[in-house]
Amino acid sequence: MRSMRLLAGVALLSLVVTACGDSGNPDENAPDPKSWRDDIKGSALEVGVLSAEGTPGLELLRGLADGLAKDYQGTDVTLTFANTEARPAIEQRWRAGKPLDVDYGMFDGTDPELHVWADDGALLNLKPYLEQNDPDTGKPWLDSFSPTIRKFMENPGDGGIYGVPSELSLHVLFYNAKIFTDLGIAPPATWDDLTSAVDELKAGGVDPIAITGLIEPYMGMWSDHLWLRTVGYDKARQVLSEGKGHITDDPGFLDGLEKLQYLRDQGAFMKGFEGTDFTAAQAQFFQGKAGMILMGSWLVSEMASVIPKDFELGVVAFPTVPGGKGDQGAVMAALQQVSIAAESQNIPLSLEWARRLTGVDFQTKRANEIGEVSAVAGVPSPPGIPGIDKVISGAESLNPRDFGLTVSPAKDVVYPEIAKLLFGKQDAKATLDALDAGLRRVHGN
Amino acid sequence: MYRTAQRRIVIPFLLPALALLGVFFLYPLVRVAVISTNEFSRTGKSTFAGLDQYQRLLEDPSYGDALVNTFMMTFVGGCMLFPPAVAMAWALSQRIHGERFFRFVVFAPVVLSAAVVSLMWKFLLHPTLGLINPALESMNLGFLAKTWLGDPALALPAVAFVLVWQGIGIWVVLLSAGFERLPKEVLEAGRIDGAGEWRLFRSVMLPMMNDVFRVLIVLWVVQSMQSFAFVWIMTRGGPFGSTEQVVTLSYRTAFEFGDLGYAAAMGIALVAIMLAVALLLNRLLKRDALEY
Repeated sequence: MRSMRLLAGVALLSLVVTACGDSGNPDENAPDPKSWRDDIKGSALEVGVLSAEGTPGLELLRGLADGLAKDYQGTDVTLTFANTEARPAIEQRWRAGKPLDVDYGMFDGTDPELHVWADDGALLNLKPYLEQNDPDTGKPWLDSFSPTIRKFMENPGDGGIYGVPSELSLHVLFYNAKIFTDLGIAPPATWDDLTSAVDELKAGGVDPIAITGLIEPYMGMWSDHLWLRTVGYDKARQVLSEGKGHITDDPGFLDGLEKLQYLRDQGAFMKGFEGTDFTAAQAQFFQGKAGMILMGSWLVSEMASVIPKDFELGVVAFPTVPGGKGDQGAVMAALQQVSIAAESQNIPLSLEWARRLTGVDFQTKRANEIGEVSAVAGVPSPPGIPGIDKVISGAESLNPRDFGLTVSPAKDVVYPEIAKLLFGKQDAKATLDALDAGLRRVHGN
Repeated sequence: MYRTAQRRIVIPFLLPALALLGVFFLYPLVRVAVISTNEFSRTGKSTFAGLDQYQRLLEDPSYGDALVNTFMMTFVGGCMLFPPAVAMAWALSQRIHGERFFRFVVFAPVVLSAAVVSLMWKFLLHPTLGLINPALESMNLGFLAKTWLGDPALALPAVAFVLVWQGIGIWVVLLSAGFERLPKEVLEAGRIDGAGEWRLFRSVMLPMMNDVFRVLIVLWVVQSMQSFAFVWIMTRGGPFGSTEQVVTLSYRTAFEFGDLGYAAAMGIALVAIMLAVALLLNRLLKRDALEY
């Protein structure tokens, strides 16, 4: 009887201790949020980076790594390329329990497909750390980030924060300002402006729009943006990625496809785009062979080494579609966030990397030197992308790019059909019918 | 007694090969088969799914399309490979001036990696920046200039051509060895009987090479069905799935969507299909052994 009571007491105590534990910081491996800076010790640290070898972006990150090594003896930072091409191999490492300490692309609060790593406990909940005051600013680290981007950082399931943004990639329409000025064309603000610009560029002997025909999601950027304007983000996402409703229910989908067909029939896309890779398409834009390109704001830093010194770049938001039932002021964006592995052997050092990476000083340096757009408050717009500040200030909302399609099996349905439309293999109505059949199949609705 | 002794000697010689086969082929194959009976989350958590993944395969049109493309790659590539390979091997088996140089030229692409070859041809085939179309135009053959990798009707033959271009040297070497081992007396007897070289080639050499062709065709089928690198680098399965192979679809399913179980089922089904095709070809192409 006595031993039973003792056992019950121990069990009760265990329950109390468990219940009183910090619910915001469930990771056993995690340091105390209030004193994590005191626990920073030098060690090996593997960090995912989006900048390729030989780019100025990587040099800046190397500088950041050197600074960390200087401040914490024994620190040895390995920068591992973690961009799209490398993701499959890196995700395999996460599955195998050998993750990078700090990595990109593991979490996006706006994309249910990317909640899974956080839900399965693979990522450190950063919220307790972000809520502490930053010694440099005297304010919580979390205040560095605009409230408009919190939805990308937060997991709707448990309210935790599993990513901090290091770059904000806005999808914008780049144009060759010199060609536009020479031909007397105004940067397109509306759909009609865009189609007029296409005609005038053609009349001036310039291919209007650079695009790749070899990577389907890049062609899909056009349908994504048109549907943003003619359908709206929420509705389009529900139909395309979540299988809620059908693409034939909302006439805005057909409207968007017809507009895309109009551009195609107008001869808007550059000659030979069907066999042109994305790097070549981007290069052709910067060589002045095409007037416009729809791309993420990463374009400037990615192509920095091939942009002619006298190239005059202009940027506008994707044109509005007057009368469209969608979001006319919305801008599509990809927030590049870093997450920290819950199994990292040195979480304090990982946190310090993330803190420095998202600090105003480093972000300002990146904006000024390589043209990266920052999601950190107080960082100026990059001077290398004239007009981006207007796009940011004019954006009524930032919506995740591609409606979450690229991590959905529906990607294999939607983008090939869009490619067929652009290649002239089918018209808008046939595209809609094919999309309807394909989406019903993958979503089973 | 003799057989027992022979077996005792043979087994130690076979063991290293069996060990390698077991570790690098049989174990992975069994492991993939086991994986194919599970359903995986993106993070790698699995639940037993029995044969559900195979049921999905039967209902998935993209797998069917990829399978058709895989066979098309084999067939189109085979048509591009064997006639010139046989012709070159025959030519090189004759005593021609500069034979070594020609052998080097034919064999040289084999030593290049698939990635290098794919990138090089991707550039050469570029519709406006490449070299093929301008070359055609400069020869007044502009009507032949196409958007090679961007045209769904041409992309698969274009990739098949590159696959053949890179590998033809190996096949020429193998076929040359086949031509070399043909008994000189039989060929000489044909010549004495008044057969011309073409008649000799068609009616004597080719039939006598039947066993070589049978092995090479089966090898080609197996090799071409795994042309992952060329397709992935040159077209990624596009445009709109026209070059998608089972291997590229399986890769994307596994590593872009984290659907490892379904991807494994695709692989196991492909192995079964390849075995069936190899057995069928072996049977269809089998001829009575020639005695001479």
